[in-house]
Amino acid sequence: MGGGLLFRKRHGEDALKLCIAHLTHSFGTHGVLHDISFGVAEGEFVCIVGASGCGKSTLFNAVSGLLEVDSGTIELEDEAIVGKPGRVGYMLQKDLLLPWRTALDNIVLGASLTRGANATDRARAAELATHYGLGAYLHHYPRALSGGMRQRVALMRTIAAGHDVMLLDEPFAALDSLTRFTMQRLLLKVWSEMKRTIVFVTHDIDEALMLADRVIVMLPNPGRVGRILKVGLERPREPACMASPAFMELKAQVLALLYD
Amino acid sequence: MRRPILVQTFFWTAAMLLILSVWQAAVVALQIPPFVVPKPAAVIDVLLGNGPMIAKLMWQTLKETLGGYVIGAAVGFFLAVGMSQIPLMGRLVYPALVTSQAVPIVGIAAPLVIIFGFGMMPKLIIVAWIVFFPVVVNVMDGLAQVDADQVNLARLLGGTSLRTFLIVKLPACIGPLFSGLKIGATYAVTGAVIGEWTASSRMGLGTFLLSANAQMNTPGVYAAMLLMTLIGVGSFVTLLVIEYIATPWRHRSTSPGHEAARTD
Repeated sequence: MGGGLLFRKRHGEDALKLCIAHLTHSFGTHGVLHDISFGVAEGEFVCIVGASGCGKSTLFNAVSGLLEVDSGTIELEDEAIVGKPGRVGYMLQKDLLLPWRTALDNIVLGASLTRGANATDRARAAELATHYGLGAYLHHYPRALSGGMRQRVALMRTIAAGHDVMLLDEPFAALDSLTRFTMQRLLLKVWSEMKRTIVFVTHDIDEALMLADRVIVMLPNPGRVGRILKVGLERPREPACMASPAFMELKAQVLALLYD
Repeated sequence: MRRPILVQTFFWTAAMLLILSVWQAAVVALQIPPFVVPKPAAVIDVLLGNGPMIAKLMWQTLKETLGGYVIGAAVGFFLAVGMSQIPLMGRLVYPALVTSQAVPIVGIAAPLVIIFGFGMMPKLIIVAWIVFFPVVVNVMDGLAQVDADQVNLARLLGGTSLRTFLIVKLPACIGPLFSGLKIGATYAVTGAVIGEWTASSRMGLGTFLLSANAQMNTPGVYAAMLLMTLIGVGSFVTLLVIEYIATPWRHRSTSPGHEAARTD
């Protein structure tokens, strides 16, 4: 399937934002990624689902530029980005907020680290944070915020860094289910309003199907793409849609692949 | 604890008064003669009765202690930063640092006096010698323990190495830095006194203690000891206050200047 997308890309029929081709990597003799290929269209929301040990995090580190893979290419709008950090947004399960910086100062961290945050950065960040429900907490230290609020700040930091493509690695896995639902809603709102391209790793199949345009099922030993499923469910997806036959059908397919 | 500083002040004062009370009570109850252990009240009388002279002695020792302390803290901090940023330097210098602390401090004093004479310099060096070590060790540990994910995030945000160091790594070792500074603060005065004992052209608390001892002036000996202790405790408490002010995120829920309810 990845090959098909690559074919389309070469022939200019579809605007691919991110293009991963034949990615292979091993740690010593242990193969972690084997011939991974897929593309992500501009503005698309793609979820990667897989059991732990299937190479999701390695794949993420490769795309983010932290890890140089043995072979294969990663292109962001035709620019090769293997081993080049700082081209895509990145968010983890750990919020990684700096305890000594307020919510606002954490949101402008990208600017602070590259050239120093100016008044415009701060004003823009404050506006962004207020729009997404952090208005009352701009000057709070992370210690004084709940887990959900902290992840909200981390998400705002990722957005404020200004990259079109955002990689999210199980960002809501540590939250309770109600907070996670709120955060999923928030993320979809961000996605549709800010027109970002999102690659989202999760091991929660329901979460993947609620969020994604397409779900990439990864299989372990070595990590490889099992199948790519299109999620045709209509948006906005209400919680009730989790009980719909179409949803159940997709879930059954993913489960069958994962537990094959 | 709505006013942690007030509460702390109360406990510190109470502890000091308790120590003096136990001392006074022990001398009275055990009927210890004043030329062996004087009552604290008598020692305080000596201090108050010789105000200007005592102040001069105190100032001399305080100058040596503070000067050496600042030098030692600065050297320790910058050494730690250098050693953690340049691994080769770290590997070479670390054994030398440990060796420096294995040399008995009294053993260093004599050569320093031979090299630098009877003035301030040997005292400053001895104090700095004692102070820099806990600072180096703590700051290096702090820098080594900065969360690797945090540093990766800084790289992914495109951070320059200098800014990443200043914004992400340095604040992360502020706790260890103050631990090192506090340990150094209580030891620093010992260095100044040893320096004065070895050779001195000016009287400080250390030289005064020696001459009072030689003259069987027991209250004088205790007065000097009390003031040396005061310098150590005073430095420690000052550092506690500076640390409290420098780390608002530990005890406030919002940044200073933006009011919200205190959380402690």
